[in-house]
Amino acid sequence: MNYVVDFLTLNAKPLLQIYVLPGLAFVLVFSIVAVWFERKFLARAMLRVGPYYCGGRSGVLQLIADFLKLFMKEIIVPEDMNFLFFASMPVLIATLPALTIILIPFDANWVLWNIGGLGLPMFFAIAGIAPLIPVFAGWASNNKYSFIGAFRVAYMYISAEIPLVLCGAAVAIMAGSFNLVKIVQAQQNMWFAVPQFIGFVIFFLGVIIESERAPFDIPVAEVELVLGWRTEYSGILFGFTMMAEYVMFQAWTLLFVTLYLGGYNGPVIFGSVMLSHIIWMLVKFSVVVVLIILIRCIFPRLRLDQTLELGWKYLTPLAVLNLVFVLALKLWGVY
Amino acid sequence: MSSVNEAEFVDAISASHSESIESATILRSKRVSVVVKLEAILEVAEALRDEYGFKTPSAAGGVDYNREDRMQMIYYLFNPDSKITLTYRVDLPRDDPSLPTLTGIWEAMSFHEREAHEMFGIEFEGHSNMIPLLITPDWRGGYPLRKDFKGEAPAE
Amino acid sequence: MSEPTITPDIMRISWGPQHPMSGQTRILLDLDGEKIHKITADLGFTHRGMEKILENRTFLKGIIPIERMAMIDTPNIGIGYVMATEEVLGIEVPERANWIRSLVCEMSRISSHLYAFGLQVEATGFFPAVFLWTTADRVLLLDLLEELTGARFSYNFFLPGGVMKDLPEGFEDRVIEIVHYLRRRFKDYWTAMIENVLFEIRCNDVGILTPENAIRLGACGPVVRGSGQPIDVRRDEPYAAYADLDFDVITEPACDSMARTKVRFREIGESLKMMEQIANEIPGGPIRTRFPLFTRSKPGEAYSRVETARGEMGIHMFTNVGMNPYRVKINSPSLRHMYIFERLCELDRMTMADVPVVVNSLDVWYLDADR
Repeated sequence: MNYVVDFLTLNAKPLLQIYVLPGLAFVLVFSIVAVWFERKFLARAMLRVGPYYCGGRSGVLQLIADFLKLFMKEIIVPEDMNFLFFASMPVLIATLPALTIILIPFDANWVLWNIGGLGLPMFFAIAGIAPLIPVFAGWASNNKYSFIGAFRVAYMYISAEIPLVLCGAAVAIMAGSFNLVKIVQAQQNMWFAVPQFIGFVIFFLGVIIESERAPFDIPVAEVELVLGWRTEYSGILFGFTMMAEYVMFQAWTLLFVTLYLGGYNGPVIFGSVMLSHIIWMLVKFSVVVVLIILIRCIFPRLRLDQTLELGWKYLTPLAVLNLVFVLALKLWGVY
Repeated sequence: MSSVNEAEFVDAISASHSESIESATILRSKRVSVVVKLEAILEVAEALRDEYGFKTPSAAGGVDYNREDRMQMIYYLFNPDSKITLTYRVDLPRDDPSLPTLTGIWEAMSFHEREAHEMFGIEFEGHSNMIPLLITPDWRGGYPLRKDFKGEAPAE
Repeated sequence: MSEPTITPDIMRISWGPQHPMSGQTRILLDLDGEKIHKITADLGFTHRGMEKILENRTFLKGIIPIERMAMIDTPNIGIGYVMATEEVLGIEVPERANWIRSLVCEMSRISSHLYAFGLQVEATGFFPAVFLWTTADRVLLLDLLEELTGARFSYNFFLPGGVMKDLPEGFEDRVIEIVHYLRRRFKDYWTAMIENVLFEIRCNDVGILTPENAIRLGACGPVVRGSGQPIDVRRDEPYAAYADLDFDVITEPACDSMARTKVRFREIGESLKMMEQIANEIPGGPIRTRFPLFTRSKPGEAYSRVETARGEMGIHMFTNVGMNPYRVKINSPSLRHMYIFERLCELDRMTMADVPVVVNSLDVWYLDADR
């Protein structure tokens, strides 16, 4: 018993980080809250009320009810399907982006995995595996709609990754380090969004593309493709694919806030530096999430070739321009 | 001549194709009817499209006159300049209704000829894609819009 | 159906009956990557044999099935049948009945265009917000029509010889209120959707149908007006009260999907204008002439053309001595537009993502095409 108590008290902080913030509880609670918020918000925009019955008039427990329902549904397995790939892909896509969330600093001393200061390239490395998973899922589904969705995903992610990595490189240059904590600390006077305005916009668009959200959700275009690579999934595997969208979304938005919006920087409130840093991080993160959900209400979706055109013809050259601009600033000693 | 009125058109076509046409009549304002002989159907159709300006194919369908032992195939054509609708008719023998396809002249008649084939049994020679349009693939036979249609052929 | 064969490098997708956006049809798309190589339409899922049904119904009873031919725009179809019956039996319609007919037809046209516009916006991927807004606005029109006719969708309101009931008390004022409200909403929709950058990107230069092709392939209604040709049955051969009403025939010069959507949208404005005129100026008088329940016809024929929301519909009625028509041939606009849709992938480069946009811009309603 003593051993257990010692273990818990000595490892309190890592345990809290793994299980609460930025770990399991944060990811799950955010997914639930974000889906609820999105459903209510979109519903209001459409003159509806959204979830209304579960959990009082606001329907907060609707998500839990939906997840429970999905657990109890049968997983329909079509013929000629590679079941190992088929069933493992949703699990992977729901959990892989969560690995990247553990790199994000919520405070100078609240980073779960700092990897000796190489947080930024590690994030891109792990997030770079993410596009493979819908491709495998689409192929394993043995369905033409899924197949088309899969290769749309592949095209779209490739066109978005390059501008994102270039912008990340520009931020790292300006901060002088790959360490995410040092990047946040370098923004204490001015957020990087201001001098790197082009990078800010590109990264914002990149976040939306990487999360497969409207207006770039062409791989999941319901009007043509039923659900793209998610078509054949039913039951809890479907639940995982839906959650996956939100986990990717969280991961990239957190990185966006860290790189461009000053991360956890902010005036001290409640007297405690660590607590106020965490609160500021969550506030900025929520603002960006609400903005991206709002964009879904307003805009139709771009076709695949238009998305690729955006990525290759506009975002990539602008990202290079951004990099050059940052290099120039660095050379002239402004930063 | 595109913008003509009905009377001028009837006179002109009766004059120029008098041996191919059985009759050309005005039914009411903006409606003209031309009944053509089967042999000359393609030639008069081309004249209608090129000289008289009936460029828009509206539809095509058949009528089964079983008491008179004939079927009539009607093509509905529209002149976008003078806004006249022409019903271009040809009489066919009821036991072997067959005529050359008019898809060479008005391409969009393709769907309508397919429908007339499956509903009446009229053969269109030279049609490139004569598969049923509306009837299910497992239809056991019978032409629904004929007057002596009693139902789908019985299952074997 | 016996499907045409394909080569191994073409992928055939069945945009088929089990699909969120296909409607009641199956369209085989042969894809070469994302580009569409060929489209084959497989119609007939909702074929009910309307033409045969009408041969077995009396003239009065035939109004009921034919209105159900295309559920979204029923008065415009009903009026075609009723006009053909009147012409073949030689029945006169009093003036007030004609004005009421135009009012109901225009209200139905607006509701159909709102629905089609909502579907078009949903087809471009806009999470169905605008579709629900247009549905909410349609509800107002449907409520008005329910007050007048007793039904929300299929009114069976027109009889050979007139209309069934007169306008209720204060109906004209309610019509004018709705017209003012819809005009304000019209402006909102215009700025929110038609001038929406991404909607323009999706719909501009998609599905281009040149004027020559439109005329040659048999386009009608908003499709041919979206290619710049002012062909409108209400102007070319005015029926009901259209000869007395003041409206413009809307055309758009750009021949793409955006032009067709804009034509439909601006036609709502013209219909609102007509509704206002009718509500202000409708003449008094009787609303129908007597039509005996069982009327025996003489041999004859009549072809009536009306402008439904989708295009021009023709009803060719042949009569013999008897109480039923001998043959009724229904020329539907959606069937003509389906042929154009099949040819569009050859006339203009189309990718798979353009299919819903083009189909909804042509406003093909499969119930109408299959009859």
